[in-house]
Amino acid sequence: MSGDLAERQAALVAALVAGGPVPAGFDPAALAAAGAALLRKRAGEVARHWPLLAAGLGPQWSATFAAWAAGRPTGGSLRDGWDLARDLRDRGTLPPLGAEELAGREASHRYDGHTPPRPRRLPALGRTGGAVAVQVAGRVRLLRPARH
Amino acid sequence: MTGPHGVGIGWRPEIAGFVADLPGLRFVEVVAEGVAAAGPLPAGLAALRERGVTVVPHGVRLSLGGAEPVDPARVAHLGAVAQRVGAPLVSEHIAFVRAGGVEAGHLLPVPRSREAVDVVCANVARAQAALPVPIALEPIAALFDWPDDELDEADFLTEILDRTGAFLLLDVANVYANARNRGADPVALLDRLPLERVSYVHVAGGAEHGGYYHDTHADPVPPAVLDLLRELCARHRPPALLLERDGHYPPAPALRAELDALAAASGFPVVT
Repeated sequence: MSGDLAERQAALVAALVAGGPVPAGFDPAALAAAGAALLRKRAGEVARHWPLLAAGLGPQWSATFAAWAAGRPTGGSLRDGWDLARDLRDRGTLPPLGAEELAGREASHRYDGHTPPRPRRLPALGRTGGAVAVQVAGRVRLLRPARH
Repeated sequence: MTGPHGVGIGWRPEIAGFVADLPGLRFVEVVAEGVAAAGPLPAGLAALRERGVTVVPHGVRLSLGGAEPVDPARVAHLGAVAQRVGAPLVSEHIAFVRAGGVEAGHLLPVPRSREAVDVVCANVARAQAALPVPIALEPIAALFDWPDDELDEADFLTEILDRTGAFLLLDVANVYANARNRGADPVALLDRLPLERVSYVHVAGGAEHGGYYHDTHADPVPPAVLDLLRELCARHRPPALLLERDGHYPPAPALRAELDALAAASGFPVVT
């Protein structure tokens, strides 16, 4: 066993976080356990950045996050939570607390889903699931709560 | 400038109030990537500095074991944080955290091969050349091994420490986790490491999930880890011990009891 360490490290990361095949010679059960541990750790970090989203999902948070994140490498906790919240919104399963948090984020930052979010310089509204948030000069206020 | 001494705790924003109220505390560690290189320090951290508490920046994203050269900007940030907090040393892991442009999100093991030793040593040398203070290297807990290990853990670590001149940040919870998950004896590893090179020691809790012991930093410190700490101190007491807690923070009395247990196991003064 030899060769290019860079390629072999990339293959290992792909197996752990991007749904890639288990590289030759590794213990599949141990890698699966490591991949699951990575998802749990990531779920905790995203919950810290998106506390209302996580609270809104309650006991379903870990499983919901893991199902969404499996095979998807992280874009950082802020973007992971944002992408998940939009995904749940589009599927109609975003809880009201998560909708309010997402509305606030959409009002404060411009996020194209591909590059890091950037603060909006002009006043803006964010609307999600009935929730309306307004941002003026970087300060965000919830104007209307989400539909319960 | 004094190195870390006695019983310390990992400073985290969530427990900043608890840490601020520890009367005997002389040492904390802070996650380097969580501190800005410029602007005011987090309030709790600034107050600890004013009290003369030693603050050691702990890097988690340098990826010293990555096949690519370590990113100079990340090293510069670690060095800048060290200067901001007046640190006597910094620490990082013998691990990689990204490859092929993809972030793993956690510390991954490198093969215990001569090729990987060369890669780690080259990256440590690059970091040392740019850092204002010495670096201590921490061996990680890993649930799996590479199929092409040529060295055992003790020879792998000793070779890296000898070639880089770095200090050792020994995590007894990692030693325990690795041994338990492989059916090995954790004390046997202690007997083969250069314990005189240890600058400080990590202690943390974990839990079993799915047949593996996970070093979670979010569960209580198991008695077996404290036993291993006592074995370590009986051989060569390290200058300092640090409790790491990164989530599911318990009520203050439980956290104080863990700090007291570290003091009792090592003979260092209680800090609570």
